[in-house]
Amino acid sequence: MRKYWWKILGVFLIVYSFTMGLLVPLKPGIAYFEPGATQAGKAYEMTITGYNTFYTKATAAPRVWLKYDSVHMLIADRVEVLGDRQLKARFNLPGSLPTEKQVAVTSLIIDDDYNGFAVKPGSVFITADSSLQEISIGKAAWGKTEVSGVHEKDQFNFPYRVQLSETIRNLYYHVPFWFAMFIIFIAGITQSVQYLRTNNPEYDYKSMSFTMVGTLFGVIGLITGMIWAKDTWGTYWTWKEVKMNMTAIALLVYFAYFILRQSFDDDERRARISAVYSIFAFAAMIALLYVVPRMVSSLHPGSGGNPALGADDLDNSMRLVFYPAIIGWTLFGVWLTSLIYRMQMVRERIYDQ
Amino acid sequence: MNLTKEIGILLRKEMTIEWRQKHALGGILLYVISTVFVVYTAIKGVQPNVWNALFWIVILFASVNALVKSFVQENSSRQLYYYTIANPTAIILSKIIYNSGLLFLLTLLSYGAFILFAGNPVKDVGQFFLAMFLGSVGFSISFTFVAAISAKANNSSTLMAILSFPIVIPIILTLLKLSSNALRLMQDSSISKDIMTLVAIDVLMIATAFILFPFLWRD
Repeated sequence: MRKYWWKILGVFLIVYSFTMGLLVPLKPGIAYFEPGATQAGKAYEMTITGYNTFYTKATAAPRVWLKYDSVHMLIADRVEVLGDRQLKARFNLPGSLPTEKQVAVTSLIIDDDYNGFAVKPGSVFITADSSLQEISIGKAAWGKTEVSGVHEKDQFNFPYRVQLSETIRNLYYHVPFWFAMFIIFIAGITQSVQYLRTNNPEYDYKSMSFTMVGTLFGVIGLITGMIWAKDTWGTYWTWKEVKMNMTAIALLVYFAYFILRQSFDDDERRARISAVYSIFAFAAMIALLYVVPRMVSSLHPGSGGNPALGADDLDNSMRLVFYPAIIGWTLFGVWLTSLIYRMQMVRERIYDQ
Repeated sequence: MNLTKEIGILLRKEMTIEWRQKHALGGILLYVISTVFVVYTAIKGVQPNVWNALFWIVILFASVNALVKSFVQENSSRQLYYYTIANPTAIILSKIIYNSGLLFLLTLLSYGAFILFAGNPVKDVGQFFLAMFLGSVGFSISFTFVAAISAKANNSSTLMAILSFPIVIPIILTLLKLSSNALRLMQDSSISKDIMTLVAIDVLMIATAFILFPFLWRD
């Protein structure tokens, strides 16, 4: 039991990441609304559709704001609850905008005591009235109210993002596979280096087992990424996405490694040359995955202003599932490696007899 | 014997062997010219962006064909003889330098053939020559090292392709970007960054090759 604690920990963390990742609901959010554009000086009535919301359970009708910047915002005059998912909000827009520009882009904010606080940034487009009015009027009219007394909910929920919606959960399956793959490939490389230093065939088998598991994780990471891409970008495979293509090439390098291993009769030679190739290929893969993607624009998170794992993008509730998932899959990968390694050793022993 | 002198002697040996086996060099030249001719007849009126892509594809395949023989053209007993008298670093370095020269020559000739058959859309000749030079060096490093690996295996020509093509893709992509700037297909202000990237990939690969070649060579 004391010897196998890490296997138990790995399985526990994977089960934990699956249950938490799939069962925890998303935060209430704003799915969509219409109309998305209006004109200054008119009454603006919008129907809002929420996501995971229960507007009827709130004790008072929700408050709805249109926010231009930190001091300029409008509150809805009348908010009508049509159902758990539907709201009708009515604004009396002043005749002038708080800006000199022709269009003001405002964020939609909804708050009530049951569902808490939800924002949809940069969503309502208000065009200026053609008969030009003083900006100071607009500034005064927009500056009367402020977003205050909002209900911050402390429930354990994952954030709601319009484009991702429920697929945000894929973060716990797609990304940890990449992290685990990298850790396992690095472990494989150190075994290759050990082999070249000592010529002990055990290290060769260890290196091969690590590479096998790393390649498997890479394939799974690619497949889960493709499923995610189908949902968010609308296609399984795109040539515009450089990380995806570079990854496919990196996997080709590792498939070539296994073909290389097949083409030797002599064990010692196979061990030595495949160790040399795996180190060389790893150096090439660093160029492939870390240099080239920085050069071209990409759809993938982490490049070109897209959100990724930065402090603003990864919610604390997500960290609580995401980091354990990485550790869990890494431990699982090491376990799988040790099984493959022992199988190889048994096979060798049978051949020797 | 110091390293530079050893490299000099090994380089002269490479050239002598190449000169004795003129059919190998002639075969590669004919390969390039017939490929360019096939390309020309298949796509009449080659557009600059197609020209750019085809140029590097022809160079890629010609380079693989030219370098696959690097470690198999001499028989194994002679390899053993080199092993006993020469420093492995000198051997890999002389091969890389020689192959870089060979590939640069090959690239220049292909450029000539392309001009002859498909026109010359290159606007910035200096930058294009720089791309051709850096490309030859990068191809030479990766293909020479992979040729050394595949020479030890049984089916070397197939292995050569599958082992080396994924590895040269970063180089190819940077080259395409650099040369499309030279063709004015796009305006890139950060061209010196691309050149630095290419040099960095080359340095990374040559460093790995230096460290690993002694293990490969030992047999």
